Amino acid sequence: MRLRRYVLFRVLQLVPVALVVIVLNFLLIHLAPGDVAILLAGEDADPTYMASVRAAYGLDLPFHEQLLRYLGQVLTGDLGLSYRSRQPVMDELMARVPATLMLVGTALVIAVTVGVLVGTLIARRPGSAVDSVVSVLSISLFSIPVFWLGLMLILWFAVHLRWLPSSGMGSVGGPREGMAMVMDVARHMILPAVTLATVWVGQYVRLARTSVSEVLAENYIVTARAVGYGEGTVLLSHALRNALLPVVTVLGLQIGLALTGAVLTETVFSWPGLGRLIYEAILARDTPIIMGAFIIMSFTVALASLATDLLYAALDPRVSL
Amino acid sequence: MNRARVEVVVRHLIRNPVTVVAGLVVLAAVVIAAAVPWLALPDPEAMDFVPYSPPSAEHWFGTDNYGRDLFSRILWGTRVALVVAIGSSALSTLLGIVLGSLSGYHGGLSDAIMSRTFDVFLLIPTFFLVLLIVALFGASLGLTMVAIAMTTWPRSARIMRSQVLTLKTRTYVQAALAAGASAPQVLMRHVVPNGLAPIVTDGTILMGLAILTEAGLSFLGLGDQNTVSWGRMIFEGQRHLRLAPWMSIFPGLSMLLLVGALNLLGDGLNHALNPQLRTRGGAPRHVPPVPPPADEPTVEDPAAPMLDVRGLRLVYRIGRREIRAVDGVSFVLPRGGSLGIVGESGCGKSSLGAALLQVIPANAELTAGEVRFGGRAILLGGRPVAERGRRPRIRDLRWARFSIIFQSAMNALNPVFTVRRQLVSAYRRHRPDATPEAAAARVFEVFDLIGIPRQRIDSYPHELSGGMRQRVMIALALLLEPDMVIADEPTTALDVLIQDQILGEIDALRRRLGVTLILISHDMGTVAETCDRVAVMYAGQIVEIAPTATIFERPAHPYTRALIGALPSLTGARRALASLPGEPFVAAGDVAGCRFAPRCGHATDLCRATTPPSVAVAPDHASLCHFADAMVAAPLPEATA
Repeated sequence: MRLRRYVLFRVLQLVPVALVVIVLNFLLIHLAPGDVAILLAGEDADPTYMASVRAAYGLDLPFHEQLLRYLGQVLTGDLGLSYRSRQPVMDELMARVPATLMLVGTALVIAVTVGVLVGTLIARRPGSAVDSVVSVLSISLFSIPVFWLGLMLILWFAVHLRWLPSSGMGSVGGPREGMAMVMDVARHMILPAVTLATVWVGQYVRLARTSVSEVLAENYIVTARAVGYGEGTVLLSHALRNALLPVVTVLGLQIGLALTGAVLTETVFSWPGLGRLIYEAILARDTPIIMGAFIIMSFTVALASLATDLLYAALDPRVSL
Repeated sequence: MNRARVEVVVRHLIRNPVTVVAGLVVLAAVVIAAAVPWLALPDPEAMDFVPYSPPSAEHWFGTDNYGRDLFSRILWGTRVALVVAIGSSALSTLLGIVLGSLSGYHGGLSDAIMSRTFDVFLLIPTFFLVLLIVALFGASLGLTMVAIAMTTWPRSARIMRSQVLTLKTRTYVQAALAAGASAPQVLMRHVVPNGLAPIVTDGTILMGLAILTEAGLSFLGLGDQNTVSWGRMIFEGQRHLRLAPWMSIFPGLSMLLLVGALNLLGDGLNHALNPQLRTRGGAPRHVPPVPPPADEPTVEDPAAPMLDVRGLRLVYRIGRREIRAVDGVSFVLPRGGSLGIVGESGCGKSSLGAALLQVIPANAELTAGEVRFGGRAILLGGRPVAERGRRPRIRDLRWARFSIIFQSAMNALNPVFTVRRQLVSAYRRHRPDATPEAAAARVFEVFDLIGIPRQRIDSYPHELSGGMRQRVMIALALLLEPDMVIADEPTTALDVLIQDQILGEIDALRRRLGVTLILISHDMGTVAETCDRVAVMYAGQIVEIAPTATIFERPAHPYTRALIGALPSLTGARRALASLPGEPFVAAGDVAGCRFAPRCGHATDLCRATTPPSVAVAPDHASLCHFADAMVAAPLPEATA
């Protein structure tokens, strides 16, 4: 029961975020130079379509009624129509979610696993030469512009060595089912996933390093050593769970940045996900898609922060629900 | 920050070569950005050269598809990068400082609303907002900066708010307000400067983020068309990746260099401001054990004392400083005996406890000393003694024979595990054959002994009261029926009533189970009730050791006398504590003379010049004082007041 109330409470806290995002969206489009109808319907739209957009958004109504109407629309999942395809923005976005999810998920798993592993090992010797070198290296990694790294990997592994495909999610005329297809997709995913993971891993190395070494200074670790546990047990079963708490927090807070990286990486590798869709929308000046993407991304970030809180509560018994 | 603190920070900064190099790179970027119009470079927009020329002596970074010189374009790009970096972070920080200060200063409802606003804005993904703004309003550097600032200001606002909240209750801020200064004045003069350090640190990292954001936009074709930006160069370069890879390589490298330098600088600043970040924690260093001495017993001798400690030394290495926390400690503790170790915090008493059990922090090292447990050596020359091969003897003794009760208020129990999990797994660690049920049964046995309700076994440490948590710690220490227990400040941070209860329980258990006890405390009264001998520690040394009654009746060291004077009397009126002037002595570097001399009312030139010998004032009573004999003879002025 307490859990349900807590979840409800946290979901209610998302309401202001949603409102700010939607109102911001609304204000921006009205502040933008040019006719709102043209922004939403496209410059060379036929008059009937233009009229239907005007009607749908209530553009002839007073300002505050437009806002209310817009709020209602967005909250019911109506993000308007893409003017390129004339398909609902929501459907267009949702169709691209699986590809992005697969790429971001894979890269995050790699980055977090490798990062926590390396960070934990380094944490055993804070202040050592290895610690300093790894620390500088990690900072350098997250200072790399992700799209540039993507290009460099293409240059080396696809152009120079010809080991891996440089773009898309599957080979043209390649296998369309079974293991063969899975392998083909996996081959295409290697470079984009490695690109993202490389840029992200430094962050997790540093987080895990700081967090584990802080925990190793705690008294309960001294207790564990005094009780006679080996150093491996102390690290893995007594320290890591405590040390993961800040990693989880940051993981949740960084989803926005992670999605940014995904958009840029998908653009480089022509990965058919949300990022690619946004890029295409920018090229075509498809404003409804860009607005919809902003709303969806903001909601995703907000939900991720909620998920983080819940995960944190599950990991730390001191957080009372 | 005052001047001295600034100096410390600067010294930390320049001692770190990485930070210095990073700082120089940023400085170089600033110089290049400022001086680039006056450098003899080709016009970055002039299409004067052969397109697609690879890097050469003439064109260091080659030329692009229009025949423009890339080296010149990259140097001009530094300008854009820095403008974006400084512009957005200045805007963001300014906004954050103002709103954060207001929120923290006013408090109450407006603070609640504002800090919720910070949270909401932090959740808006910067890049996608910027994308939308630029897509709607057209690409321009200024808009990009505003958009970056709009989603990043809550970072500095949060820092500022918490600074203001902590500082506004400080006396000097209160005094300034009382003296008639207006609130904005006080904020500007006293509060903002104090919060600035972490904001500057965050600001450098923000600069890197801004550069990457702008570059990302440009890469998507949303960059300002009128500027030469590194991101746009990569955007143009990717179409010619195969033909002219240098078009992408060099702008990216420049960006990596500048953003990396900014991030490293931020990191260096952070560490200079919080030097403890770097070396806290860590795993203890491995010290290769020594083989057992051939001429000594390999099995325990029931007639030998439980613990025999000779010349034990433990040093902490903090930077280049060596602090001798335990500096030549020797004592003998018979089986079933109880020794109290008393001293101020920082005297090395807890380090001594950890050293005996060989569980010392990573930055500590045992440099000398012998420890024998039941006559069997477990530490020789500061190194663990191995049984056969490489396994240190102490490993088989820890907890099964020799355990320690930590001060539970200090997180001695793992907060994320239940009591059951911690106790059962400790038991099974040493009794691998025991089932979880058998282990739990043993836990209940000890619970009953100590008076912990059985249902507490499924609690988490934070769900227990302080006294109950301490009892659980005691239960953990007694779980395996050890012969010897060290109790390290077991009652500190508990209220007086519970203190007495716990001490009484420890004393009763000791007598009932025949456990040998070392009780570490800062309080003479605590050890007086429980221990038959008392050792007084000062600056890493035992300055006096004697039977408990003797030490109270005939103290032979001025420090002991001060500690006894600091004992509140139960009979007469509560006397003013004879507080000791001065700071406790820290043994680092060469020590000449008596360590207590600077704070001693009786110190003479002899004390300041010559290290005092250990004076045996009685067969069982030693004192580290030149005037021990005189001290014993001197009456206690307030002893029985």
